Amino acid sequence: MAWRQPIVATMALLSLCGGAAAQAPSKVFKIGFLIASPWDSRFFEPAITRAFADRGYILGTNLAFDIKAASGKLELLPALADELVADHVDLIMTRGYPSAVAAKERAAAVPVVVSGSGDPVATHLVMSLARPGANLTGVSEIAADLSAKRLQILKEAIPSLRTVAVLWNADDLAMTLRYNSSRDEATKLGVAIQPLGVHAPNDFAVAFAAMVRDPPDAIMMLTDALTILNRKRVVDFAAEHRIPAIFEGDSLVREGGLMSYGPDGAALLNRAVGLADRVLKGASPADLPLELPTKFVFAINLKAAKALGLDLPESIVLRADQVVE
Amino acid sequence: MEQTRPRRPLFQKYFVILFGAVIVPLIVSGASDAWFGFRDQSALVSNMLGVEARAAAEEIKSFLDGIVDQLGWTVQLPWSEGSEERHKYDLLRLMRQAPAIVDLIQVDGAGIEKMHLSRVAPDVVDSRIDRSNEDSVLGAVGSRVWYGPVTLHEGSEPYMTIAVAGSRVSAGVTIATVNLKLILEVMAGIRVGRSGDAFVVDRPGHLVAHPDISLVLRGVDDGTRATLQAMRIAALGAGGEAIATTDIQHRSVLVAVAPIAGPDWTVFAEDPIEEALAPIRAALWRTGFFLLSGGLFAAGLAYLLAYRLVVPIRKLEEGAKRIGAGQFDHKIAIATGDELEQLADRFNVMAGELALSQERSERIARLKRFLAPQVAELVERSGEESLLDGQRVEVVVVFCDLRGFTAFASSAGAEETMNVLRQYYAALGAIITQFEATLTNLAGDGLMMLMNAPVARADCAFAAVRMAAEMQQQVQALIVGWRRQGHTIGFGMGLAKGVATVGRIGYEGRLDYTAIGSVVNLASRLCGEARDAQILIDPAAAHEVATGVPLKSLGSRGIKGFGDEIEIHAVEWKEAATDDK
Repeated sequence: MAWRQPIVATMALLSLCGGAAAQAPSKVFKIGFLIASPWDSRFFEPAITRAFADRGYILGTNLAFDIKAASGKLELLPALADELVADHVDLIMTRGYPSAVAAKERAAAVPVVVSGSGDPVATHLVMSLARPGANLTGVSEIAADLSAKRLQILKEAIPSLRTVAVLWNADDLAMTLRYNSSRDEATKLGVAIQPLGVHAPNDFAVAFAAMVRDPPDAIMMLTDALTILNRKRVVDFAAEHRIPAIFEGDSLVREGGLMSYGPDGAALLNRAVGLADRVLKGASPADLPLELPTKFVFAINLKAAKALGLDLPESIVLRADQVVE
Repeated sequence: MEQTRPRRPLFQKYFVILFGAVIVPLIVSGASDAWFGFRDQSALVSNMLGVEARAAAEEIKSFLDGIVDQLGWTVQLPWSEGSEERHKYDLLRLMRQAPAIVDLIQVDGAGIEKMHLSRVAPDVVDSRIDRSNEDSVLGAVGSRVWYGPVTLHEGSEPYMTIAVAGSRVSAGVTIATVNLKLILEVMAGIRVGRSGDAFVVDRPGHLVAHPDISLVLRGVDDGTRATLQAMRIAALGAGGEAIATTDIQHRSVLVAVAPIAGPDWTVFAEDPIEEALAPIRAALWRTGFFLLSGGLFAAGLAYLLAYRLVVPIRKLEEGAKRIGAGQFDHKIAIATGDELEQLADRFNVMAGELALSQERSERIARLKRFLAPQVAELVERSGEESLLDGQRVEVVVVFCDLRGFTAFASSAGAEETMNVLRQYYAALGAIITQFEATLTNLAGDGLMMLMNAPVARADCAFAAVRMAAEMQQQVQALIVGWRRQGHTIGFGMGLAKGVATVGRIGYEGRLDYTAIGSVVNLASRLCGEARDAQILIDPAAAHEVATGVPLKSLGSRGIKGFGDEIEIHAVEWKEAATDDK
């Protein structure tokens, strides 16, 4: 299983022999990560390590990560959840709806902090935001609503918009809900949707072929493990065929995507770690309400716009929180 | 003296007094310190909480005022054909500036919705929804700024609507939905004590902001709302003072409140009582420690002092007991250098004096066996015990005994016999003492007395005769009574003068003074010769007293043990006694 990267931090053990052991608290908190996508050691790991450090948890001293990444193979998630339970982690943090479901179903005795799982109430991951119940809390993204918002932004950026290709992982319930939301909004805006549900990496070629056959005015990609894994192909395809695209996270805009609108990932991550901190200090996840994002980031890539020959209206530029030039 | 525990021992008294003298002022000062400290700290905490509540209210108010100010910018331009673009830009800028605003609606002067921008939902332009009768529009038109109630978005996140109207009706009203979670960033900067909280509650009792965002997001149930309401009313009623109460997390807290005028919210600043009064507890511990150590010190000191005081007194008591028991050589050893030492010295001196005094009284008692008390004292005082040494002196020897006593004693009962003897000796003893005669022998009813020894006296024969006469007179008076009881008892006396050897005889502890010589035998024989009520005297005595005492010659008689006949005289004692009178 060479694709798996279970990086278990063992520095905690080393610190027992070193001088650092003197000031380090005796308890080492073991955080299990159950992630559908590959582990992002470039951006995600430093960010979450910093968020934990802000609350007094130092990786390698009183904090250890037990990382289980399915790298897009969603069917592996239940088994990975079982492994985390067997590893006696203090807490499981999930990213993505499928991993949240796997953690909820397979690790009922372990507290779970979810993030990146769409609308947890709509997907019945929790009973309500205020009282999640069970062993699960975390941050919600109200992302279902935002699909409609993105479509509206696309329409505002490209007033001549007629058809939008929506690319999403059809195996992910949270993503499907988002697709449904954007389809409803499209009807109101008088825009046709070209549904491009994918199930596996190979499906992208099929989707691209469909878009070549019937070119849309814009692409909207919904973010989950599968699409993130193939983002580069989508961004390149859009650039190659001069199709404006809108994404959820601003990182894709920095990687060449035209626009993105979504909750501030760093702020959400910080809140998720805040909840993890509360749980590690003894709070029951069932008592910790899920938190909704308060900050949203609208990012545009003016370079990409120029390449597309697109003249973005002033109201769009005015909205932008991040501009790549 | 029997050794008993005193009812209230001195040691206890001194200990209690000395201990009390130290500990009472300590307790009084400690208690007053604690009490005033408690009051000062309470006032301080109350003051601090009040200040913090007002400061928090001020910050939240300025957060809201900031939003209101910014909303004010969007209602300066009147709505007219073609102004939509400018209005939209204003609103977009506003949303960039105020991250707490999630939703903005602008209505024109007639209350018709012109624009609806949202961070979450798609924007809607020119929907023409009539909002002229909505509370927000009416409220804002009425008082320029209108604060809506706090609502829970999806049952969790607190939102509030703020509507601001322009100064000109035609500028319309901007209605903003504000995510109150962002107040948290304001609240995060507010610290109350070390573990205290500041939080905000609206008029119906909803938690608007709390450092523990989970409490806000979870919403409050009716019971908690009632608790918050009660806390608010009680704290507002306290007139700026902090009150002690139980908060929604069931902690005992001191809480002060400050109102936020616009939205009619209340800021609570609470500090757990435990923490607020921690300095007092520390002071109490300190006071307690001082009291305890002071108490121990006082007890030690009191014990030592009381001990130092009582030990010599016990020694004195022990000494007094021993001296009382006759152990006069006992020395009370006290070297305290104070009055107690002086007292011990006094005791020691007294013991010495007692020893001397007892020795003397023992000596007197010894002398009194044969000397009249006054003579004994005289001899003792003179210290001339040599008087008692053996010597030959001229003495008068007097014998007397009862006639028929042996027969009486053998027939009468012991009690009767002793009774008679008691009366007899009582009478004779008084007379012997009176005439300062020396009683040398006492055997049953017979007595032998000396005159002129050991103490010399000039007219010893006279004195002896007068004493004999007195004895006869007294005893005869008794005999009248005895005879009335049917006892035939008489009393005869004999008296002779001559040289005899006198001195102490006997052995240690059983010494008698006596006279040895023919004069003693003669006196004894004369006594034997004498009939009842007769006093027979020899010629030497008769020769001496003849001038002063009526005598009657009984002629010469042969006396056993004496070769020649001796002329014997009887003393006419009845006449002599009458003469004396």
